[in-house]
Amino acid sequence: MRVALYVTCLVDLMRPAIGFAALRLIEACGCDVVVPPAQTCCGQPAWSAGNRPLAIELARKAIGELENYDAIVVPSGSCADQIRNVYPQLLADQPAWAERARRVAGNCRELTTFLHEMLRSTAEIPDFPGEFAGRATYHDACKGLRALGIKEQPRELLARVRGLTLHEMDECEACCGFGGAFSVRFADVSTRIVDDKCAAIARTGADAVIGGDLGCLLNIEGRLRRLGDETTRVLHIAEVLAGGDES
Amino acid sequence: MSGGGSQAMHFKARAGDKLADRILQGALKKAQPLFTAKRRKGMASLAADGLDFAAMRAAAQAIRQRVLDDLDVWLEIFEARAVAAGADVLWARDGAEAARLIVELAQREGVRTVTKSKSMLSEEAGLNAALTAAGIRPVETDLGEYIVQLAQEPPSHIIAPAVHKTIAQVEALFAEAHGRPQQARTSADIPKMADEARQVLRRDFLAADMGISGANFLIAETGSAALVTNEGNGRMVTTLPRLHVVLTGIEKLVPTLEDFATLMRILPRSATGQDISNYVSLLTGTRRDGDLDGPQKTVFVLVDNGRAGLLGGAFEPMLRCIRCGACMNHCPVYFALGGHAYGWVYPGPMGSVLTPLYTGLENALDLPHASTGCNQCGSVCPVGIPLPDLLHGLREAQNARGLRPPGERLTMRLWGWLARHPRSYRLLTRLAARYLHWLGDDDAAGRRIRIFGLAPAWTAGRDLPVGPGRSFFEQYAARKRD
Repeated sequence: MRVALYVTCLVDLMRPAIGFAALRLIEACGCDVVVPPAQTCCGQPAWSAGNRPLAIELARKAIGELENYDAIVVPSGSCADQIRNVYPQLLADQPAWAERARRVAGNCRELTTFLHEMLRSTAEIPDFPGEFAGRATYHDACKGLRALGIKEQPRELLARVRGLTLHEMDECEACCGFGGAFSVRFADVSTRIVDDKCAAIARTGADAVIGGDLGCLLNIEGRLRRLGDETTRVLHIAEVLAGGDES
Repeated sequence: MSGGGSQAMHFKARAGDKLADRILQGALKKAQPLFTAKRRKGMASLAADGLDFAAMRAAAQAIRQRVLDDLDVWLEIFEARAVAAGADVLWARDGAEAARLIVELAQREGVRTVTKSKSMLSEEAGLNAALTAAGIRPVETDLGEYIVQLAQEPPSHIIAPAVHKTIAQVEALFAEAHGRPQQARTSADIPKMADEARQVLRRDFLAADMGISGANFLIAETGSAALVTNEGNGRMVTTLPRLHVVLTGIEKLVPTLEDFATLMRILPRSATGQDISNYVSLLTGTRRDGDLDGPQKTVFVLVDNGRAGLLGGAFEPMLRCIRCGACMNHCPVYFALGGHAYGWVYPGPMGSVLTPLYTGLENALDLPHASTGCNQCGSVCPVGIPLPDLLHGLREAQNARGLRPPGERLTMRLWGWLARHPRSYRLLTRLAARYLHWLGDDDAAGRRIRIFGLAPAWTAGRDLPVGPGRSFFEQYAARKRD
């Protein structure tokens, strides 16, 4: 199976280790992983700002880069939602593109969904190498949860991690307040919202909060540190599953 | 369309004020879990009745959509049936016209005191101000509305108008208005305080010449107004005075009583978690021979104020709204700020859609962006309104009309160019990764930026965790070379 890894612009710039962890995990499933070299950003910031023409251009660019693979895996529910749900919508009325958009959308999987499907369909996959000694709690990112139905997948994957016990926080499905441009445009409101998330995390007494979207994680980690919490680790699920710090 | 008194252009500044208001923040923090717990209970009772939320929502949505598909026809049927039952039906193009019609009617009838039960349309119309200017005294009788009227504020929530007030604030208002010394109050005193308001309002209930109510629904087949309330004030307002005015929007129609029954299974459960509200009134026509109470004259004032303009367009789904408040009750932005930050009549996600549509896109530029896109609103909406999609549609409309600020447009253009040119993009991210790393400080918890000049808003309340100084693609290229 030839799999394209769509790294995402945020992982590329802010935390490359997530990209390498995702790469190792997909390889561990027995797939050939390719990182399409011309990828930049899926275009969600343009779409989200209401700039449809630019969102369409970037959708076409990504579709051209991603259409010749058996699967496209993205370590972010937010970007995966853009490719799976928004691309077909953006290109629905362009005959030359509609079918290509649908095909790419159909092949696109958020990372935990992909790993979960692979585990179910193939018996020979060994356990992932990650280990984590301690208590963890999981933050459900909005797009992943409500647009892609990602709920059990990360939890079942984490249940296989040696040493890790999961303790659900209150309102684990509530938004952390990130919201892309929202976090800068209305930074004070965003900070007020993430305070509730930080408090819920603290109440679990977890050693780490884990999530599947780097945007949420930067928001949560940034606020935790500013509030003086220097110990709670903030980790992408790929990092937890793949183990071993690289890069 | 009239957006009289809208402050929606000042959302950002008002948001800052609301965040700094510690009393308000306390009230909101207390209320939020109560609201979400109520709906949770409502959904549990729906399930206990063997009803499935998704199926109920589909049925409710279909009823509302059926009305919108032929709204003109349903309105004509409603008018004919209401008139046949003895009521008058007046039409108002906008809020100002609605207020004028009601003031004129009150003056013609020699009305001096008006009791009111909750009507958000009354806020759209600025009705209390219009009545007061004409020397007529409006008295809000819904407890929450009574409180905000005493405070001379607009409601901050469509079903809980005084949710932003603390008990101490209400006590201060009551003490002053009711001419008594202030006391220390706790939540155990709420029934006592409600009773105090009741005693005061009783005089007005008996003295009023006109009662004004909204309508949760208008029922076409019977020409009735349906009223869903909990305090009983709605009955006093609609049965005691000799005149009853029903003020509501033209989109509130449902075809039949059967449809109304379907919607009633999901409205209170979505709003307050109740299986059914304490009072459900169906008001048809006027007092008949032998009736012990009821108005001698009933007048429907049905208002457009921008609604008809939405029919058949991309924003038509918003007209399905049944005003349950679930969207704001599950909105992180609403509960960070309260309703007043939104600046016009309707707050929360439904308000962020309606305000620009009813008062003008250019008069509420921030509201469509005042959302994290989390879709907690859309997932609880009992009539399946895709609120984030509608907010997104408004963002696109702003762009299409050139309403976004030049700085934002320029940034988007530059970023868009880079994202389409991978070589330049790689070069820039290479430099950016180094720059971010260089700006950061290391400590036990990792490397992070505490003050970031390029996005100072981010670091006003948060650190910015940064990476190792080399982007993914730079590292990946190096590995491939090895």
